[in-house]
Amino acid sequence: MSSKGLAKAEDIYANRAGRVRELKAEGKKIMGYVCAYPPLEMVTAMDYAPIRVIGSMDQPITKADTQVASIICPMLRSMLDLGMKGKADFFEGFIGAHTCDCTEKFCHLYQYNVQFPYYHFLDVPHIAHKASFGFMKAGFQLFQKTLEAHTGRKLDPDRLKEEVKKHNAQRALVRELYALRKQDPPLLSGSENLQIMLSLLSIPIEEGSGMLKDIIAEVKARKDGPKKKAARLLLWGSPLTETSIIDMIESLNANVVMDDICTGTRHFWHDVEMTSDPLDGLAKRYLDDLKCPRTFRETTSSFEEDQEVRFGYIKDYAKEWNVNGVILQSMKYCDTHGYEVPAIKAYFDRLGIPSLYLEHEYTMVALAPLKTRVEAFIEMIS
Amino acid sequence: MAEEKKKRAITRLESSALVRPLVNKMYMEGTLAGMEERPVAWSMVNWWEGDIIMRAMGVTPVYPENYGTVCAALGIAQKYMGVSVAEGFPTHLCGYAQNTIGYTTEMKREGKVPEGAPMGGMAQPTFMLSSEGYCDARFKWFQSLRQFWNVPVWTLPFPHPAYTDTSLQDVHKVNVEYMAVELQGFIAFLENLLKKKLDRDKLETMLDNQEKVLKVWWEINELRKAKPCPMHARDFWTMMVPCYYLAYDPETLTVYQQVYNEVKARVDNGIGAIPDEKYRLIFAELPPWHSLGFFDKLAERGWNFATESIGYHPPPPMELNGGSDLLYRIARWTYWQYINTRYRAAKMGYPAVGAAQPFYNWAVEYKIDGILTHPLVTCRTATFWLTHWMNVLRDKLDIPGMSIQGDIVDLTVFDAATALNQAPAFEESMDHFRKVRKSKGLDW
Ligand code: SF4
Ligand code: SF4
Repeated sequence: MSSKGLAKAEDIYANRAGRVRELKAEGKKIMGYVCAYPPLEMVTAMDYAPIRVIGSMDQPITKADTQVASIICPMLRSMLDLGMKGKADFFEGFIGAHTCDCTEKFCHLYQYNVQFPYYHFLDVPHIAHKASFGFMKAGFQLFQKTLEAHTGRKLDPDRLKEEVKKHNAQRALVRELYALRKQDPPLLSGSENLQIMLSLLSIPIEEGSGMLKDIIAEVKARKDGPKKKAARLLLWGSPLTETSIIDMIESLNANVVMDDICTGTRHFWHDVEMTSDPLDGLAKRYLDDLKCPRTFRETTSSFEEDQEVRFGYIKDYAKEWNVNGVILQSMKYCDTHGYEVPAIKAYFDRLGIPSLYLEHEYTMVALAPLKTRVEAFIEMIS
Repeated sequence: MAEEKKKRAITRLESSALVRPLVNKMYMEGTLAGMEERPVAWSMVNWWEGDIIMRAMGVTPVYPENYGTVCAALGIAQKYMGVSVAEGFPTHLCGYAQNTIGYTTEMKREGKVPEGAPMGGMAQPTFMLSSEGYCDARFKWFQSLRQFWNVPVWTLPFPHPAYTDTSLQDVHKVNVEYMAVELQGFIAFLENLLKKKLDRDKLETMLDNQEKVLKVWWEINELRKAKPCPMHARDFWTMMVPCYYLAYDPETLTVYQQVYNEVKARVDNGIGAIPDEKYRLIFAELPPWHSLGFFDKLAERGWNFATESIGYHPPPPMELNGGSDLLYRIARWTYWQYINTRYRAAKMGYPAVGAAQPFYNWAVEYKIDGILTHPLVTCRTATFWLTHWMNVLRDKLDIPGMSIQGDIVDLTVFDAATALNQAPAFEESMDHFRKVRKSKGLDW
């Protein structure tokens, strides 16, 4: 791939599978995974390029309907559909995870239908009690065991520590990139940002970090960034695998300056603590630091405190990125995000930050009616 | 008269009538506990993991999930769902959850059990007990109720291991231990909240009873393999309630023993649950509680439902090894309930189809002619595998399937008329595949 910086991210975003095929042709071993929960440090320590399995909003689901009902998360259905159409044939293996109930089931069905030579399913607890960390760590140990059995070689703990450092370095670069959207106007649009994140999820870690460095330098120097607009928005919710919703929002009088989605900050934000046994740091990071509604947070003495525990970090984002509105979005049939909506909305109401809930079908065609609502929302806040 | 006769197409077990007083007692206990200001927990079905501990500590559980079925059957759930939507909750969430959210909103508004709430309503909780088991609603639902009830929510763990043999063996000890340690945490939570100690002797007595209940309930369901099938799915759904909510209670054991005797007598005398059993079917997964009369119409056509609802069946006799400590015993049962089918799947050598294994086995053991599935608009958990199960039964055992769209709570989605219109064609298909199976050497 000859392009650099933003252009490179745009190219990869436009043809993700193409880049993965190139990597395979270059001799890279490719490992697919779902969601933000598999510990990628362990994957890269075994010399795999971890590539996140995602769906596609603009390709109709045709084959997966013979396997799963239409009331299931459309992103998962799309992932299954693409897999059944041979579009995941570059994966040597697939790492599933119990993130939400549908994802758990999807992983088994995906493996059944696509049949990867290696398949491991990680059981991630929904609670983060003290004992849950030991449970999570035991799950990682089992993962290590199956990875070692598959590759025929041992995972070197020192190499794992090196990989933790490498991933943390990339996370630091991602945070640096996000910081470029704190100013008004932001130096980078929300759509560009998502393109970069999706590209990072599609290439090896070293390549991704190199690309990020180029992008940060380019963006800092650019003169053609987004224009100042009335609304500075934070986007929350279920994963986005296309920029279409952000494109729609940014085609109006708004910039999306921050996000809390798992193809954005949720995936990259937190470092792994360096612990003498790296699996301890990994267990803490993936179970507790990674904030997603799929994990139950302990109740406290009041609902308001609970909200703080569950959503306080988003308030910090809102303050630091100086947002004046929040778009809560979720694809239809996502239960973990769906249950969250009234509580998170009430939280932002209490903070005096207006919010709008959008439910979408994970297709390009159904976005037009949402645009009218977003337009009215932006007018209201500006 | 003709109408009256039609309603009796399924010969219900006489002993199933003994269950109603138990259920009434359960609701009455909840109401009384509320009135007397004794501790009440809103609890999710947790497969015997936490209820027995609460009971041993004098807490009265109330089950919003079961209350959802009651409200659905009585047609009031629709109203509560409307209230839930008005509160900003999406319409695709679990119908039972929407029902509870609507009920709770009304209860807060009226300051008491809402006017017209069936079965005396649900008393205000002292705390809520969630579970990680089976679906996300089981913990997200009570978390979302936190905005109405300023009471703590405790969540019980529920491992979700993979289907493969190796990982099952590898994680078994870790998983059971984790659950047992977490139960210790749950006890500490309760002792702190209620300012009293757990009576372990009482817990042990209850646990002994519970294990006997599980055993006899399992044996009852095994008897249904007989031809003709002596007990219809309608009786299963009626009688599963005490097993899930009142397994600690000696009365449940007595009732189940009577049920066992009656089913056994039917088997011994060749009596079926319907007069003329032409087809033996599986029903998957949750039934249309509001339209159970639909099954009588199918029974008139000779359709007997010999088994159903995998998530609500009791586990087979235990194969897991483990400690004898009370909490380990509890953990092992709950875990075994969830993974026993996976062990069998792994043993059968097709681990990736683990989710289909129970139905595959049942189809063979119960000599099934067809599967009727009920995809639910508001329950992804009970819907996800339905198509896969139908595919596996069709491809591997030549058993055809039919679907009827519906919901657990929303009456408007269920289309019985279309399903009944499709019945003759499906019967032809079942007849056809019977011949195909025979030609392939299968014995039914
Ligand atoms: S979007 Fe929701 S349903 Fe889909 S995978 Fe994520 S949490 Fe699960
Ligand atoms: S299994 Fe389905 S019906 Fe039952 S609580 Fe979960 S989402 Fe609701």
